[in-house]
Amino acid sequence: MNTALIGELVKLRYKLLWAKTRSRNGRIALFLAGYLLLVLVIALLASGGFGAAMLAVRSGKAEPVAQGVLAALFLEAVLASNILGFGMSAVFAETELRRYPLTAADRRIARHLTGIVDPFWFLFFALELGLAVGLYVMGAGSFWFGFLAVLLLFAANYLLARVVGLFIDQLMQRKGGAPVLMGLILTLAFLPGAAAPLLQKHPAFVSAVVQRLQYTPPFGAAAAMIHPDATGLYGLVIVVTWILGLAALLVWLEKRPPRRQVAESVKIEWDSPFDRVGALFGPRMGPLVGHWLRFYSRNSRTRTFCLISLPLLAFLTYQLGSQWKVAHSFFMMALGTIPMLTFLGTARISVNQFGYVGGAFRRYFLLPIDPAATLRAASYAAVTIGASMLPVGLLAWILFEPYPFDARMLLMLLCTGVTGLFVLNGLGIWVTLFNPRKGNYTSNFGNDLSLGGNILLIGGMLVAMSLPRLLHKFLPAAVSPESWWMFLPLPALAFAFYLVTLKSAGPVFVTRREKLLAVVEGRD
Amino acid sequence: MDAIRTTNLVKKYGQKLAVEDLSLTVRAGTMFGFLGPNGSGKSTTIGCMTGLLDATSGEIELLGQRFTADNAAVKRRIGVMPETLGLFEPLYAHEFLAFVARMFGLDEPTTRLRVTELLEALELTDTSKTLSEYSTGMRKRVAFAAAVIHSPEVLFLDEPFESIDPAGVSLMKQWLRRFTEQGRTVFITSHVLETVERVCQEVAIITRPGKLVWQGDITALANDGAVVCNGQEFRALEPLFLHLTGERYADLKWL
Repeated sequence: MNTALIGELVKLRYKLLWAKTRSRNGRIALFLAGYLLLVLVIALLASGGFGAAMLAVRSGKAEPVAQGVLAALFLEAVLASNILGFGMSAVFAETELRRYPLTAADRRIARHLTGIVDPFWFLFFALELGLAVGLYVMGAGSFWFGFLAVLLLFAANYLLARVVGLFIDQLMQRKGGAPVLMGLILTLAFLPGAAAPLLQKHPAFVSAVVQRLQYTPPFGAAAAMIHPDATGLYGLVIVVTWILGLAALLVWLEKRPPRRQVAESVKIEWDSPFDRVGALFGPRMGPLVGHWLRFYSRNSRTRTFCLISLPLLAFLTYQLGSQWKVAHSFFMMALGTIPMLTFLGTARISVNQFGYVGGAFRRYFLLPIDPAATLRAASYAAVTIGASMLPVGLLAWILFEPYPFDARMLLMLLCTGVTGLFVLNGLGIWVTLFNPRKGNYTSNFGNDLSLGGNILLIGGMLVAMSLPRLLHKFLPAAVSPESWWMFLPLPALAFAFYLVTLKSAGPVFVTRREKLLAVVEGRD
Repeated sequence: MDAIRTTNLVKKYGQKLAVEDLSLTVRAGTMFGFLGPNGSGKSTTIGCMTGLLDATSGEIELLGQRFTADNAAVKRRIGVMPETLGLFEPLYAHEFLAFVARMFGLDEPTTRLRVTELLEALELTDTSKTLSEYSTGMRKRVAFAAAVIHSPEVLFLDEPFESIDPAGVSLMKQWLRRFTEQGRTVFITSHVLETVERVCQEVAIITRPGKLVWQGDITALANDGAVVCNGQEFRALEPLFLHLTGERYADLKWL
């Protein structure tokens, strides 16, 4: 094994991490990441690490608490590394490593070593080690058994995350893979909430599930932490067995790289629906809007989010509405969620319109048009796609509303939907201009939004979920069907805001174009 | 008539000077070579001349009109092949070219005809691939096609011949010659001095930071003649270029 070269690659991984902090955006990201990490470490060390161990021992339920904590950390690491991209993007690609004099085995080790030494994984390692040390200090376990269990669990956790990552890669290369995957994620996300009432009714089922879980790595590691005897040894054997199995699966998956399905030939299609829709915006803007519609629609993540936004928001409306024991709770929740329906599908691009075009950004300034027309056209495309979601959402409401049909409710939903469409897309334009970020158009996972983009998207979701409750508490008349007339001016106001934004953002776009160019081409 | 004229053009990035007081005149109907070492400001100059970048000071005139970034009327009369190509990668070649053609005001039948003809002429008929899946040479051909599709009067080409196979280069040169014979102007940057020597009538050479050190007629070089600069005779463009920009020599014993 070429340890010297592998060591250099690990060092390079940290140098690259540090190099990112040289840009202004990188420094802001580093500051926020550092701050959040500190808060997270303090909070989690108390509840997840040493603090959890103290609680476990004092409550007299050391093993169940250890099992719960380790299982939660284990799942969290797998999900966070794959969905948010933490600790995964650091892995060098095989093609990159082939440039260096490394054998296939060396390359595999180098890839996974650079992946596992990501700070993200250290956080989970620290939390698990905190638990083991805590249990030892409180006299509920053996240090060496615990330490070994943490090391093995850490390895199993990383391997599972990589296996899931590769599985996702392979799935995403298949036709229809993106919606299938999002369906799986949503099922996983909402399964606990949906299954909880069922489990409460059938405690025997719970004990059967717990019995099966004894054969999983977190439960095996928990047994080893608590029992420094044959039971603990058996726990370690379970984790080692998982490691071997996952390693074999990983090698097998890596030897079957995902293959993109390419059409044999494509007939040139001149009459495209994108251009037809674009033509509605007039002969001057038409081609540009058509171009942006094509750009949005050809993005797999946009397509996936457009597909899943209705079921996702319907589920949220149902889930939050059923927990809120007041009259018309589902309707009030829908008032909050329907604006997000018009934005969720296109949000990734509409808050960072030029972040995914790379060097093609230059092209917009070579066209014989007012450069700001590009910005407007991109926003029109997002608004068009978002607006097309609204009738679907309203139809779903008519079909599934748990109340007798009330036209006032439908009108109020329409008004908030249109309001959300214009306000969120208007705000998206400002985020595009002042907080852009270079993103990867083809990536299907990971959060590549800027801070502003995240604030708008996550903040929008939070407002959608909390505003109806706040209004109901402080201004109940405002969300009552009797007050339908109060909603009528909202779309007009939102539209006015959108128009003012378009007008005032144009000159800003032209002024900031060199800055935007530097960001989207990755020079800032 | 002058096709391109810059007067005291200055471009700064913050405090960093990228183009220094550049005054340049390009006659209409000329194939003009714009040469300089790496990082000397060639692409920045083209960026200013085509509206991508704002000049810090100075003036630019294209086709007799003062040019600024929002002068759409002039932009409609020029074609640009940027160094970074500026392709929308998720698109197919015909979609991209049709988009550019429509943006430059071509009607639907003309767009279809020109896109089809360009794709065939430049051997870009593999319609199963998006631009992101094309090779570097093919991407370059697409960018070239996008620059000429609207028959511009002035064509800016930033490193047009790199990565293109000899047959492609030969075809492009043939088109460019015909282009200038019709009284139109081509402004080329290139590091391939032999090609510039053969196709250009006039060149300007700049050094860092964007400072003009020589401009002159080089047609004599294509006819086995010589060019005189600073009292010296040069029979090829390369020695002239090295003379003006500074020849470098480093003896690496291990190499």
